[in-house]
Amino acid sequence: MLSLNNWRTRQALIAYGLLLPAIAYFATYFFYPIVVELWASFYRGAPLIGEARFAGFDNYVQAITDERVRRALWITLVYAVGTTACTLVVALGLAAILAGPVRANNMIRAIIFFPYIISFVIVALMWKSLLDPYTGILNSILFMFGLEGQNWLGTPQTALPTMIAITVWKDVGYAMLIYVAAIQGVPQTLYEAASLDGATRRQAFFSITLPLLAPTTLFLAVISMISHLQDLSAPYLLTNGGPANATRLFSLHVYEAAFVELNIGYASALSFLMFIVILAITFIQFRFLGRKVSYA
Amino acid sequence: MSAALYHRSLLESIVIYTVLGVAVLLAIFPFLYMLSLSLQSDADLFSGVPVIIPSQLQFSNYIDIWERAPFARFVLNSFIIAGGITALHLIFDPLIGYVFAKMQFPGKGAMFAAVLSTLMLPFFIRMIPLYILTAEMGWLNTYQGLIMPFAMSAYGIFLMRQFILPIPDELIEAARIDGAGELRIFFTVILPQIRPALATLGLLTFVFQFNEFLWPLIVVSTTEMRPITTGLTLFNQEFFTAWNLTATGGVLLFLPSFVLFLFTQRYFIRSVMMSGMK
Repeated sequence: MLSLNNWRTRQALIAYGLLLPAIAYFATYFFYPIVVELWASFYRGAPLIGEARFAGFDNYVQAITDERVRRALWITLVYAVGTTACTLVVALGLAAILAGPVRANNMIRAIIFFPYIISFVIVALMWKSLLDPYTGILNSILFMFGLEGQNWLGTPQTALPTMIAITVWKDVGYAMLIYVAAIQGVPQTLYEAASLDGATRRQAFFSITLPLLAPTTLFLAVISMISHLQDLSAPYLLTNGGPANATRLFSLHVYEAAFVELNIGYASALSFLMFIVILAITFIQFRFLGRKVSYA
Repeated sequence: MSAALYHRSLLESIVIYTVLGVAVLLAIFPFLYMLSLSLQSDADLFSGVPVIIPSQLQFSNYIDIWERAPFARFVLNSFIIAGGITALHLIFDPLIGYVFAKMQFPGKGAMFAAVLSTLMLPFFIRMIPLYILTAEMGWLNTYQGLIMPFAMSAYGIFLMRQFILPIPDELIEAARIDGAGELRIFFTVILPQIRPALATLGLLTFVFQFNEFLWPLIVVSTTEMRPITTGLTLFNQEFFTAWNLTATGGVLLFLPSFVLFLFTQRYFIRSVMMSGMK
């Protein structure tokens, strides 16, 4: 018995030893930063790197009462929700087709998926050149059809929708693949039973496939919202927040407060607010969509 | 849906293939346009009419660009950074995954939960303290500063654990009885069993790290340490550049991902479909 205990202790010690790099890594790069950020958010000035004084909740009060911050939060919500909703609808439509028998199925999937794995730097470059008001091809094509061109990314009314469309273009292939996998995982017998009961294919899709896809939709919605609520690449690379701050997302606001103005305390409070917003939205999604998840 | 239940009318087929055709065209066209731009002369670019096929292929753009900025160095940096991160993931993610899958020790559940909880701490939220930490370590403008914050991932550890769990315990017990240590078991028994999963992890990690933009934007201020993502972006901001040369740089950035995808496409897609299912 003693030897077994010895062996257990030995194995536990070895396990801790093997885990040491992971403990160091996650402590340094995940837990320490969050704690430090929370601490810094209660200071005015440049805590950690320079002069700062304790200011309680001043930074948070300033953030919440600042009109520009509220506007940035609102634009970010529109951007994240718009992108997520459009991506999921388009992806589901394409997946519904591609889960069935279609010629060149694998090639079509690969082509539509490909934009997902390239850098946003390229995405921005391609679309900015396509949409360039003077040399871009989109306006030239519109002109050929007698339509008026637009400065798509340079007009306050069209900039945010254009940014959403470009992000959807990049993201849609991933959501599509995940949906295809999920649709193909729905048991055949359910469709057979429905068809015996005289259900049309459309009825089968809306009353069998769609409800069974709820967990997939939840998964895709959560990861899309988390990544686009904090998206800095799209506004930084496409518009730099312009025109007239129409695409000034929250992330860009934080980035400038921290790395341009070096207002570390205030920027930390802004980041922490975003963290709370992300947690809250994720929680709401689980409550709202999670209830529809059935495990048939 | 099974073929037996599938009776498509001609009209439905037309609609379906039209939708797919438009989707494929939309997905491809920006790339073709970038390729075309990258070969255009200034005369084509500013001619006032859309040019899709350049009047003459100006391959000299691809030579010019190397002279304007150290793109060779940018590409090399990208490979070192993405390659370094991928190598660390391939060592640590399965090792930590193995410890959580097959070893017994007090506090295992809590520690695994702590690892998974880091999925809820997005990078952007940690960005400011991470920058200061990196600066204090003297790691700004260094490879280690660019690599270390991404050395492991909770997602990778979770994925590896899922693949190691089904490996029969008898295999591990037999090796233990033969006197093999845990590390030896990991390398000779576990790793060979999860080769396909390792390939998936390596491929996904490399491709996504190759695209990383935000972190190098923050921690790199010298030209020679830039990876190609920020190198290209700042090159465009610092020197006003016409779209044709910008597109040439874009093609350079795009090529590694494209070639990798071309050769691993079926496998890549299967990996993504599999990794998304929980």
